[in-house]
Amino acid sequence: MKNSFDEKILEEAKDWIFAKRNVVLATVIQTWGSSPRQVGSRMIVNDKGDFSGSVSGGCVETAVVRECLGLIKENKPFKKIEFRVSNESAWEVGLACGGEIAIFLEQIN
Amino acid sequence: MKKQLLKEIIEKKEKKIEFAIITDLENGESCVFEKEKPIDKNFEKYKEKIISQFDKKKNGIIDGTNIFVETYIRPINVIIVGAVHIAQYLVNFAKSLNFEISIIDPRGYFASEQRFPNIKIINKWPKEAFEEIKTDQNTALIALTHDPKIDDPALQHALKNKFFYIGALGSKKTHANRCARLKEAGFNDAQINKIFGPIGIKLGGKSAPEIALSIIAQLVSEVYKK
Repeated sequence: MKNSFDEKILEEAKDWIFAKRNVVLATVIQTWGSSPRQVGSRMIVNDKGDFSGSVSGGCVETAVVRECLGLIKENKPFKKIEFRVSNESAWEVGLACGGEIAIFLEQIN
Repeated sequence: MKKQLLKEIIEKKEKKIEFAIITDLENGESCVFEKEKPIDKNFEKYKEKIISQFDKKKNGIIDGTNIFVETYIRPINVIIVGAVHIAQYLVNFAKSLNFEISIIDPRGYFASEQRFPNIKIINKWPKEAFEEIKTDQNTALIALTHDPKIDDPALQHALKNKFFYIGALGSKKTHANRCARLKEAGFNDAQINKIFGPIGIKLGGKSAPEIALSIIAQLVSEVYKK
């Protein structure tokens, strides 16, 4: 059962900010079908490319890191991204589970 | 998200205040929402919908809007009466499922710190123990002593305070006797039927960890029925 009080991801974000890093917060805002992590799941990414937490079962994290780094580089405050079912024969990022997720990225500034 | 907001969220989490983070996905604005406090003026027009989402304890985008709500709701408080062998397994299951746990047992040799490390143990009779812990409709009671002297007062307290889940260990016969005692104490059938007894879903196992698993499975299934 999810208990937001126990999640330490925001505390970790605070530590990164204290260490003078740029931090992007990624939150699962919508899911369709069988997605591995529920709405409200979070991960954080900093300008070095370090990440913590998760928004899927490892399927899209790499792509999320890339998107977050892009956000920092272009200095955009926020962005919404979506991932759909992957085509297993192609080397593309997607959800092997067949689900779809929408993720909200926002810089902590 | 502003750094200031992040700080505010962390403070509220530490104090275990129930709240929600609301975000306007259109413009990236976000703020903290608390039921008893006035809402941020940017979100005023969604007030009713945000409250209704908050009451459902659901995370998600409010239908027909661009407003995302993430709720921070206190976990279900599980009170175990009887620091018996089954309780030792129950505690471990309950912990990994994020329930908050406390144990009541007046028998000091059962309810020891050594048997239950890092668990809130109250070495008192249920009546006195319940004066110490706050209980409400978000509380679950698991009575495990099958000793009327200990279980019954706890069950009576749980029924009166409309606990979200009430279960009692014991055979069908033990449970029938228990129901008769509660009836005599003035509880009606509708109230008594709220007690899961014999406790747990039918798994077939008889060992302590198996019984603990069947109890916790029933509790989880009741959480999702709500």
